[in-house]
Amino acid sequence: MTGRRGVRGWLDPRGRHSGMWTLVAGRVAGIGLTCYLYAHLAVLSLLTRGPGTWDRFVAIAGHPAFLALDAVLVAGLLVHAAHGVRVALQGSGLLIGARRSLMVALAVVGVAVGLVAIVLLFN
Amino acid sequence: MQIQPRETARDHMSPAWLWTVQAGSGALLLGLLTAHMIAQHYVADEGLRSYAEVIAWLRNPVVFTTELAFLVTVTWHALAGLRGIVADFGPSDRVERLVTRGLVVLGAATVGYGAWLLVTIAGNG
Repeated sequence: MTGRRGVRGWLDPRGRHSGMWTLVAGRVAGIGLTCYLYAHLAVLSLLTRGPGTWDRFVAIAGHPAFLALDAVLVAGLLVHAAHGVRVALQGSGLLIGARRSLMVALAVVGVAVGLVAIVLLFN
Repeated sequence: MQIQPRETARDHMSPAWLWTVQAGSGALLLGLLTAHMIAQHYVADEGLRSYAEVIAWLRNPVVFTTELAFLVTVTWHALAGLRGIVADFGPSDRVERLVTRGLVVLGAATVGYGAWLLVTIAGNG
């Protein structure tokens, strides 16, 4: 898969099919989400400092620039989830013959859910 | 009588076992994460709950238990996923063992800190 070529092997376009690119996207999103988990815990620690600190943060979190970061988070979650659902289904021997249709269906659902989630974020 | 080999902790780290638990935790996260995102980010008037609202929310035992389950599941899923990525690079057994132990320690610390945060926040106010 990535083997001895290291992380650079992920980005080498030679001999790759669409499944490999979704694997790379899913993994990059997964690494980003793991970093976000720790950032999220750091933000939640503000709650131990009392109402003033947290409520000031909530006011900042409503800024459009901050909401744009939330939109990136939602996109990362959906990319990772779609990749995970595909790998779990096909790794379990399900829908093996419908690889492309499954990818298209997951992409359509992911984009639809993402658009709704992002529109709701900014409203 | 056939002698059965004793099951050891190492057997539970087999790729097939890890893959199954990773897929299961991923499926669980689809529900837990959706519930977390809707409850924490989509139903509050200001986009996020105020300090008083967060404390009142976490004092509900069902919410507290669900958030704790979310913390444990997401930490497992994230760190087992990282281990899988490292394993795909084909490290030596020694490096793989070291990475696994490091991630177990990091996971325990993460769940410990997150649980402490939950208890402390729910106890405030």
